Amino acid sequence: MELINSIFDLLFGSDPELRQIIAVTLRMSLFSTLISSLIGIPAGVLLGANEFRGKAFISRLVNTLLGLPPVVAGLLVLLLLSRSGPLGSLRLLYTVEAMVIAQVLLITPFITAMTANLVGISASSINETLVGVGIRGAKRLKYFLLDFRVPFLSIILAGFGRSIAEVGAVQMVGGNVQFKTRVMTTAIMMQTNMGRFDFAVALGITLLLISFLINSLVTSIQKAALDD
Amino acid sequence: MIELKDILIKAKDRLILDVPSLRFEKGKRYGIIGENGSGKTTLLRVLMGIVQPNAGSINGLTLDQKVGYLPQSPYAFSVSVLRNISMTLEDRQSPDGLALDALKKVGLGSLINSRGNTLSGGERQRLGLARVLAVPKEVLLLDEPTSATDIRGTDIVEDLLQEWFEKTKGLLIFTTHAPAQALRMADEVIFLEDGKVVETGSPQNLFNNPQEPKTRAFLSHWVI
Repeated sequence: MELINSIFDLLFGSDPELRQIIAVTLRMSLFSTLISSLIGIPAGVLLGANEFRGKAFISRLVNTLLGLPPVVAGLLVLLLLSRSGPLGSLRLLYTVEAMVIAQVLLITPFITAMTANLVGISASSINETLVGVGIRGAKRLKYFLLDFRVPFLSIILAGFGRSIAEVGAVQMVGGNVQFKTRVMTTAIMMQTNMGRFDFAVALGITLLLISFLINSLVTSIQKAALDD
Repeated sequence: MIELKDILIKAKDRLILDVPSLRFEKGKRYGIIGENGSGKTTLLRVLMGIVQPNAGSINGLTLDQKVGYLPQSPYAFSVSVLRNISMTLEDRQSPDGLALDALKKVGLGSLINSRGNTLSGGERQRLGLARVLAVPKEVLLLDEPTSATDIRGTDIVEDLLQEWFEKTKGLLIFTTHAPAQALRMADEVIFLEDGKVVETGSPQNLFNNPQEPKTRAFLSHWVI
């Protein structure tokens, strides 16, 4: 009972740290999902909608990157952004920006692969139809984007889910710095290690609540798009 | 005039299309007949530049907005039927008006607000034809344009194509596996088998007096 009270106190109280953690988590996840979608969806459409030499190789590469362990992505970004690394002068290590970069590395292949698979199923039929009315080349992109707008939202949502739940890479490049780069997953891990299970559970529930709210929002947008 | 010369398409060891010479003249309607897998669709795809031949050339065909192509299963986008057409006409004045006119001609005027992806196969074919004919065309390449339509739908499509042809005196090339349709709609019939042109001629000559045993064998399955 005490645990439940603690959870409610944390969720509906005014703990500044919890608010900060939620804010950083949302900022990181939204930005990384946005950037990954802006790269991954057009790249996925190009990959799924076209036949070209080397397509099979690129598809294999993207699918391989789907299995990229988060700690490896974190390590890569850590090496890039460390003081002695090629981008060390930017001084981005242990910032939210570094966490976003690591997450973009992880989520973009996921969004690209999902998009390419989705578009690939109908690509030849859409292409033939568009060629039939004189629409070729890059002009086709907008028709794919329009036609798959609803499933694209699901892919973006799945990407957001990956982002908000990720812990390995953000721990490595963010450093879990209090009031700066601490996000829900890294905080849950830390609080669990410290034995503060009530705070960890409260964070876990908050994480689920945020996911539920964003899911509901996207579902409403999808419904509106379908009714359009 | 469109001329195909020495067109060859192979997939691994299988011959898909082998057309040493074939001409299509403006002001005529060509019906390409043959069984499934005979190369009818591939021939149209080659003409449209969708499939690149391993060898050979096509002369006299400039692929622009005056050439319309209707695939056998035209895609219906997940927007309204009207938007399915108007969105391909955004460089034109009054795309909605053009789309509405075209839809009325194919008998889909009452479905303009339905979503494209809820249409039946036959309705999709008519939607596809309306999309192709929404702006003036000089050349029409149609891949089995009535393969999914019912009798009424087939009548609408055939009447519309007849009207288009009388008005434009353009070039119509269509494929069909039904010789009776070629008899109704074509000035010249091309019979394909295993990727090769077996026989060509006017429908009356070809159907009443086929010269090649393969043509006779194919036509023996049909009551024309």
